[in-house]
Amino acid sequence: MIKTTRRQFLKYGAVGAAIGATGFPSILRAAEPLKIGQVNASPAAEIGWAKQHALGIDAIKAEFGDKVAVTVIDNIFMPQDAERVFRELASAGNKLIFGTSFSLGTPMQKVAPRFPKVAFEHCSGIVHLPNLGTFEAKYYEGAYVAGAAAGYMSKAGKIGFVGGFPIPDIVGPANAILLGAQSVNPKATCNVVFLNSWYDPGKEKEAALALLSQGCDVVCGMTDTGTCVQVAGEKGAWSIGYASDLAKFAPEFHLTAFMMDWTSDYVRAAKGVADGTWKSEERWDGLKAGVVKLAPFNKKIPAEAQAKLVQLEADIGSGKVHPYAGEIKDQDGKVRVPAGAMLSDKDIRATNWLVAGMSGKLA
Amino acid sequence: MDLFIAIFTGTIVAATPLVLAALGELVVEKSGVLNLGIEGMMLTGAALAFGVALAGLPLPLAIVAGVAGGAASSMLFGVLALTFLTNQYAAGLALAIFGSGLSAMIGNGFGNTPIAALGTLHIPVLSDIPLVGPLIFRFDILVYFSLFMVVFIGWFLYRTKAGLVLRTIGESPQSAHAIGYPVVRIRYLAVLFGGAMAGLAGAYLSVVYTPLWVENMTAGRGWIALALVVFSTWRPYRVLLGAWLFGGMTILQLQGQVLGIALPSELLSALPYLATIVVLVIISRNRQMLALNFPASLAKPFRPAG
Repeated sequence: MIKTTRRQFLKYGAVGAAIGATGFPSILRAAEPLKIGQVNASPAAEIGWAKQHALGIDAIKAEFGDKVAVTVIDNIFMPQDAERVFRELASAGNKLIFGTSFSLGTPMQKVAPRFPKVAFEHCSGIVHLPNLGTFEAKYYEGAYVAGAAAGYMSKAGKIGFVGGFPIPDIVGPANAILLGAQSVNPKATCNVVFLNSWYDPGKEKEAALALLSQGCDVVCGMTDTGTCVQVAGEKGAWSIGYASDLAKFAPEFHLTAFMMDWTSDYVRAAKGVADGTWKSEERWDGLKAGVVKLAPFNKKIPAEAQAKLVQLEADIGSGKVHPYAGEIKDQDGKVRVPAGAMLSDKDIRATNWLVAGMSGKLA
Repeated sequence: MDLFIAIFTGTIVAATPLVLAALGELVVEKSGVLNLGIEGMMLTGAALAFGVALAGLPLPLAIVAGVAGGAASSMLFGVLALTFLTNQYAAGLALAIFGSGLSAMIGNGFGNTPIAALGTLHIPVLSDIPLVGPLIFRFDILVYFSLFMVVFIGWFLYRTKAGLVLRTIGESPQSAHAIGYPVVRIRYLAVLFGGAMAGLAGAYLSVVYTPLWVENMTAGRGWIALALVVFSTWRPYRVLLGAWLFGGMTILQLQGQVLGIALPSELLSALPYLATIVVLVIISRNRQMLALNFPASLAKPFRPAG
């Protein structure tokens, strides 16, 4: 237990002010394990968002072995609880603390300044402080390739998309899926349904059935369960998985999945803190860095199309193809990205419009 | 026509867990006990049923396990509320919270592994009749069971002596006790039945409807069932009506979103709740009727004198 006197507190405050510029002093002493904490908003799960973050922690453990001691706290959804949890983790001597949900941002921003010697990493965050870094994935890169796969396989040219809430992180990938499909089949359309709930497998099923009954023959659910993939499989329709490889829910019909692999972010942060080089960064990586990956393509996709998909994946990774390259029109026919231009990163992260060919309405 | 069939069948199936859980709670409340723990009992039933199915045991056994799990967890409430006479609101809420935690613990490790669902019935000839077949004869057996239970509970409560005794206990436990009925024992049985029905509703979600297990997968259906009982003014047929209305509006709003109706999805998502409230409030406008059906001793602890 570390006791903090007022003098030490002031000293830390001064150190903290200096840290932003000078980077971290080496904290890891030979015998003492580096203490790392992780706070999750949702319950632990075996697929989906939470699972991919658990894999990040596993990667740290694999890399450092017994040189790290990890504390994981799940199911901290309420911001007022989260603030306390972050404070406790920081007080308990954790030198690196991950928060894995957008909703944990405000509590992290409150706690981080009080613990300037602790490195905070916020996934999908937007606010940066000297000791609060963020990391996020370019979902749209993977979604575009998955959409192209749907474009090759869909007979009807109608894709169905189930999202949690109509927010940029969901609307953007939905757009990217359709743009990908249209790159193969210019007539492709997409119907979107928002559940206005993060977590309701029953409603996900009903939404998927609604999409299928209106003629969609590919379904993608940007939710945390395998429900959409499962329902589509039962009805003999294709599906696209999200976050994890969901092939086991419909091995015959799962085209691919756009997945997140945060292990590089986790290991890099841990290494940085261990050797004292950690800096607050704003990382936003995609296919190139391997933060976004595609699950193995369904064997039923013709070899020729598969080869093109692999090429597309490589081209997006290398920057040769940009999913949001113009000309892109929105639902109402307004040109959002002129020909020859690309949507800026800032606009991508603030998407609040649907591309042409989408049916459904944002508020 | 296919769209109509999809909406109709979707409605019936989506309403089934609500019907099951609400009917159980209706019987509990008719005996004068308020058990707010439906959500917890449903989750316990859902987790147990899924676990049994995942272990490779036959699905009927999984459903029985769900029923048993719901019933067993209801006894926790029973002991607190009926033997120790604690506040029923508090005991019910405790069960709701405890059940969600317990189910998460039971379900730890089941997460997101698919199982084969209980299939729908296929009755030779009948299921093949055009239109009528898909509309009426192609559900899973629990859908028919839930409809049977609506009729059965309506008959039991209002046409049998046992039902009369149960209702009497809900009105005036003192009177029932005075003429020699074992009030506490009958209330225990009612709570047990409510738990079993909630467990069945949970099992329906995890092994028939979705079929998978994720933490908190009931997503508030237990609370909706609870509200349906009140809004239906404690009448079984109205529970069915309310559940169909709620399920139907849920399906319709999703279909509407797919069609691209020019309304914000937030508003569409709120429609099932709005519509159910409006219709049931209109139905229950008759105050006399409401006073007649409301169990006068609801949530009041009863201690047998002497």
